[in-house]
Amino acid sequence: MQSLLWSPERVHKRMVLEMDSNIQLMLYLIPTLIGFFLVLPIGKILANPLSQRFPSIATERGRLFFGLILTGVAGFAVSIQTLWISSKVSEGGNFCASNTVFSCDDVIGNANYNVDPIFGLPWGGIGATAFCVFLYLAYSSSLEPNSEWVDNYLKLGTALTFGGFFVIALLISYELEMEKICQYCTTAHIANVAAFVGFYRLMKLNESGEWNQDS
Amino acid sequence: MKHIYDDEADIRTKAAIRVMSLFFVGLIIIAATTSPVATGTKAGERAPALEGKFYNGSGGWTEFNLESYWDSNWVEGDASGQWVALEFMDTDCPYCVRSAEDMSQNAADFDGSNPQWDGAIVNFIASATQLDIQGHDSSRAEIEAFRDKTPDSGISCASSDCGSRPGAAHAFPYIDDLDQDNMKKWKVGGTPSYYLIQPDGIIAWSSSENPGEDLRDAILALVTRESAQTDGA
Repeated sequence: MQSLLWSPERVHKRMVLEMDSNIQLMLYLIPTLIGFFLVLPIGKILANPLSQRFPSIATERGRLFFGLILTGVAGFAVSIQTLWISSKVSEGGNFCASNTVFSCDDVIGNANYNVDPIFGLPWGGIGATAFCVFLYLAYSSSLEPNSEWVDNYLKLGTALTFGGFFVIALLISYELEMEKICQYCTTAHIANVAAFVGFYRLMKLNESGEWNQDS
Repeated sequence: MKHIYDDEADIRTKAAIRVMSLFFVGLIIIAATTSPVATGTKAGERAPALEGKFYNGSGGWTEFNLESYWDSNWVEGDASGQWVALEFMDTDCPYCVRSAEDMSQNAADFDGSNPQWDGAIVNFIASATQLDIQGHDSSRAEIEAFRDKTPDSGISCASSDCGSRPGAAHAFPYIDDLDQDNMKKWKVGGTPSYYLIQPDGIIAWSSSENPGEDLRDAILALVTRESAQTDGA
């Protein structure tokens, strides 16, 4: 009789867990890769046909901001998902455990490596906070691109995302030690690399004097 | 004319509010759908990993993983779940040698082979380390001799032959923690140290948190009993 009782937690858990974890990963990986593609010089190939429908991406600046914000949102979402996975694993549940080298449960659930070595904060929480900061810098700059603080915001974004490379190197060293790869973490790492490229290219564009060009 | 907007408004405030909202929505989703349990060695925390090679009397030293004991579906009061009693010990520690008799007795009483015990099965495990104290040099051969109580082994456990230690030979697994990896992970301050762990991997009792209590009392007080279930029905 008890099993017939409805609980929002049970329904949510079933909906999430019933979807294959690798298919769920695509919800984050695809926007990350699209965002990455848009911030690259070759992103024009994708942006040009879409510029009729989305005029904001018709310009180089608009395309870079769009790609950067898309990457930031996807990076934030996948970081929140890793935080969720670490909480679920701590409850004793499984989400993406596997006997293969791709087993995010083994990485995210490893109590020796799943928190930062200084403050003991979960990496997923650190990632979510970092991507929120990137998003804030990118989003506010995109809303008022000619404000005098935009230059500093873009430089700060470039520096912070560059700093993320050291964190990524540390986390990859953990994965090598565990001989396991966390595909969700890797997606967040790709998002950080894409965000660095986006901020760096926006910073250079801002310095070049072509910031307000129409195309 | 009344102002309906703020002259000092800044787009950065608007962006910050939107991004912060996104952040808090993410945290609320996690808070509403999970109940995380901290990993640690205090009662109520999830037991950390305990890995390494173990010896169980035959077949040499093979891979051990404590996680293989856990049943995430176990619920409190279910007597079919198997508990774990874990001892951190050093074969050259005099207290550990003396407590070997208690461990023999406890294992015999609670491992499921005793018809008078109506409670859940308790699996006993020992993690044998080598403390950084002079005269505490140990080896896998010494761990085997201690566990099996090998007579005239010629190997010394706390200045006496390992075969002459008190209690019967142990039938439970001994993990090689000579490098102290597991001991450090569990933040064990000294040997012997004992932990009683629920079938779902949550620590129910530890000797360091309950000085003066022994493992046997903890098992009798905490491990699920069939009689308790019958009384409660």
